[in-house]
Amino acid sequence: MQHPERFDVIVVGGGHAGAEAAHAAARMGAKTLLLTQSVETIGQMSCNPALGGIGKSHLIREIDALDGIMGRCGDLAGIHFRTLNGSKGPAVRATRAQADRSLYRQAVRRTLEAAPNLRIFQQSVVDLCVEHERVIGVVTQMGLIFSAPAVVLTTGTFLGGKIHIGGATHSGGRAGDPPSIALAERLRALPFRVGRLKTGTPPRIDGRTVDYSVMERQPGDSPRPVLSFMSTPAVHPKQRDCFITHTNASTHDLIREALPRSPLYSGQIEGRGPRYCPSIEDKIVRFAGKDSHQVFVEPEGLDTEELYPNGISTSLPFDVQLALVHSIRGFEQAHITRPGYAIEYDFFDPRDLQRTLETNALGGLYFAGQINGTTGYEEAAAQGLLAGINAALKIQGKPEWVPRRDEAYLGVLVDDLVSNGTNEPYRMFTSRAEYRLRLREDNADLRLTPTGRELGVVGGHRWDSYRAKRERIDALHHRLSNTSFAASSTQAEQLAMLTGSTFSRDQQVIALLRRPEVKAEHLLAVLDDIDAQSLEQVEIEIKYQGYIERQDVEIDRIRAHEAIRLPGDLDYGSLHGLSNELKEKLSQVRPSTLAYAARIPGMTPAALSLLLVHTRKRAMASGA
Amino acid sequence: MSLDPFFEPRATHGEETIAAVATPPGRGGIGVVRLSGPLAIEIAQTMCRRLLQPRHATLARICNRAGDLVDQGIVLTFPAGASFTGEPVAEIQGHGGPMVMRNIMQAALELGARMARPGEFSERAFLNGRMDLAQAEAVADLIASGSQAAARGALRSLTGEFSTLVLSIGRSLLAIRVRVEAGIDFPEEPLLAEETTAQVGELVSLRSELAELLGKTRQGVRLGQGATIAIVGPPNVGKSSLLNLLSGEDNAIVSAIPGTTRDLLKVDLELRGLPIRVIDTAGLRDTSDVVEGEGIRRALAMLPTADLVLAIEDLVAASGEDKLDPKWLEGCSSILRVGNKLDLAPARHADINISVHTGEGMERLRDSILERLDFEPDGSTFTARARHVEALARSDVHLKQAIELLETRFGAEFVAEELRLAHECLGEIVGRVSADGLLGEIFSNFCIGK
Repeated sequence: MQHPERFDVIVVGGGHAGAEAAHAAARMGAKTLLLTQSVETIGQMSCNPALGGIGKSHLIREIDALDGIMGRCGDLAGIHFRTLNGSKGPAVRATRAQADRSLYRQAVRRTLEAAPNLRIFQQSVVDLCVEHERVIGVVTQMGLIFSAPAVVLTTGTFLGGKIHIGGATHSGGRAGDPPSIALAERLRALPFRVGRLKTGTPPRIDGRTVDYSVMERQPGDSPRPVLSFMSTPAVHPKQRDCFITHTNASTHDLIREALPRSPLYSGQIEGRGPRYCPSIEDKIVRFAGKDSHQVFVEPEGLDTEELYPNGISTSLPFDVQLALVHSIRGFEQAHITRPGYAIEYDFFDPRDLQRTLETNALGGLYFAGQINGTTGYEEAAAQGLLAGINAALKIQGKPEWVPRRDEAYLGVLVDDLVSNGTNEPYRMFTSRAEYRLRLREDNADLRLTPTGRELGVVGGHRWDSYRAKRERIDALHHRLSNTSFAASSTQAEQLAMLTGSTFSRDQQVIALLRRPEVKAEHLLAVLDDIDAQSLEQVEIEIKYQGYIERQDVEIDRIRAHEAIRLPGDLDYGSLHGLSNELKEKLSQVRPSTLAYAARIPGMTPAALSLLLVHTRKRAMASGA
Repeated sequence: MSLDPFFEPRATHGEETIAAVATPPGRGGIGVVRLSGPLAIEIAQTMCRRLLQPRHATLARICNRAGDLVDQGIVLTFPAGASFTGEPVAEIQGHGGPMVMRNIMQAALELGARMARPGEFSERAFLNGRMDLAQAEAVADLIASGSQAAARGALRSLTGEFSTLVLSIGRSLLAIRVRVEAGIDFPEEPLLAEETTAQVGELVSLRSELAELLGKTRQGVRLGQGATIAIVGPPNVGKSSLLNLLSGEDNAIVSAIPGTTRDLLKVDLELRGLPIRVIDTAGLRDTSDVVEGEGIRRALAMLPTADLVLAIEDLVAASGEDKLDPKWLEGCSSILRVGNKLDLAPARHADINISVHTGEGMERLRDSILERLDFEPDGSTFTARARHVEALARSDVHLKQAIELLETRFGAEFVAEELRLAHECLGEIVGRVSADGLLGEIFSNFCIGK
């Protein structure tokens, strides 16, 4: 049966990518349908109950700057907030929150249900409707057909999922979810390259059976940070502490003994796991010299006793899991509520996508989230947002929008994926961003909200609040540029005392901020009537200015290189003057633009010049 | 000119102004430094402290940024669209000595130009639609041969160790970056506690390694700025006599350095004003003599680094014994076959026939040498090695800055940025390291586990 309602955009999957995609498309005025296997699991955090962290919170801020939902919902559900890298500069500062799983789910579901233009329907999708190499709708389990010119698939690890606990395996999605076999088969028939990855979870523990008194307590930070530009700590629920304990020599001994029974080491698991999140058995094998590893004991929520022991993800047999948990200080009597497991799954090679996340194979079909080989709620949400925006732009007949690497972590994420693919679950790190100094948490709104407004994805409420903030900053900047301290003034004396620096002549206040030793807090002490938040922003801008300007030169060059497309059939082997190593890499990677070629390891300026000249030559020869 | 839809002529090169010495080193009394790019005319005007009328030759005193006089010469400017690169171009014609040229270049770099890459002027001319397809072929070859010349030059200046040393410094820098970046991306890992003092220490020792390499490379640039010619041949064909003749007649010996081994004699001389290093080698032949064998081994190791090899044949010797076995010359970039003893025997089918005894044929030999060395019209051979020096020096500036930031306990992200830039400078010589490569190092060195 054909469902009587027609939609502009259909989003399949109600996880973090699906929620952002559906909400973004709806914000832009597209009539949107979210199809999910279960309304109850919309916004489910299926791994550890935490949001943010280095690089990841940057993504949340960018999603938030474009009026997305992850930051707002995270603030409504966060039960423990910390600022990471607080002692370092603002570019690498990050926010991390432990979340109450059920509060987060509720917040996401309520937000989606409140969105105009958005409908939710519970039913598995078993097939796509395709016409002339374009997707035109989907078919659900009961044979219901929904039509739309754009479909965003955010179906996570549902492809070929295989769960391992010791020698035992069974097929499945995340623990508890049924895998959707029919849709998987349909997609496999399309010309997508498929890769296999692996990830894992630790056994969960009953908090009532744990001795916190022997663990290191880790309270949240004060003042408490927030995830969204629109939030204050007042919206946070009750807060909980986290704890830290450690593995020890006997933990390591018993794991070493059990290695032959580990599916990771028996060859049973073929998929590649993340290097930055190894299982406990991996850590013990690869870093044999370490006699102890940290275990972060994270609460799962306010109304549950369950704990997530972060750092001991494992697929060892259950009897070993019990023994290893009991060997850890504070866990001697612990009761395991759910066993740990490893899951292997297929993903679609993101190199078969355009930067808008639309597939090359089927027009109107977008992939977002873990299906593209990423890991993490934030990475998934970021892709969902980008796919949702671009699906809406497409049906509105507007040009696509993809931020560049120097504009947003969103741009770094999508460029890395689409250009290079991945051979481990892809996670964001700040070191992936060449222009880290400008891609900060604190300025995500200044970077992206105006663009979001133009795209139509930023609502009036946020826009007003953004404009007010921008005006306050500009006004303060103006004021500080027009205020000077005389060398003999009391303010100069006070500042000299506070900072230990000397003032030999009259100084513009804005120029004082350029000195490393002069901080916003010092100016707050000597100037009246200053908005601390705006001052912080002005200070950051001034302190980073020299570096930002230097990067501008580099970025200009890269932008120019981005405009230069390299022919897909260029015969790199025949290019005289390239080293064999580069010839090989170029033939393999086949970069689409000169800017992309420039990022290939081993590339030199001379080699780039050669590529440029050869490309140009070919274009001339073909009479263009 | 055909228009190409893929290219915005002005947007293809990031708006940088490039500079290079555009005349072969030492040849003739006039040397030209050429600038191209948006700042070219402004820089020229600053150097001669006056406004310049386009396309007019102006006699001017040429100064550096500090205002010190570096030379007096003719300055010409061409506005965008009316120059051979299509961009604003300035030409500064000064006195041709290497020192003067270096000073003029230095002044241009101080004022915001960057040293041109091999073939880059022609590249820009081409990209701005100033050349046709036939010329385009030559541009590609120019860039390729320019970078090969740079590689050859680097190899020569440090007897093959240059890349190895740059790579080794790159590895040490990577090891430091790994810890700085890991500290930023994984602050919750306890083993990555701040270790400022240790990092400063390592950076200081990295800088001294770099300084040593820079010193050697600079020396290489100074001594080897011209070309290197090797004289090879069987024993007793007149190799040493030729060397004596070249250096004696031209009577411009800069220095005569006894070979680093007792078998290689190196003489720096000027051939029609072009600085050249001539290396005389041991006679090449199969031998069981250990000492002689070592001399031959060293000669063979040097040959591929020479810009030109003069293979001397003995016109008197019986046919078949006069020639060098081709196996000795494998890997040589350019070979000129020279028949000697023309006073005693008829000429044969060599490239040039001479007599070192009577001097017959020597003029033609000099012509052929200069022709074969074929210095590029835009001076890229001259700048190739200088660019390595410049990249190393820039890398060092960033390392120095990183140390200062560490010492003043400035944010780690600034330190990381300086180290990234220092690494990119090394990457210009030996190829770049990607972010993923860096992350891979982090994960193999540290147990990152949350």
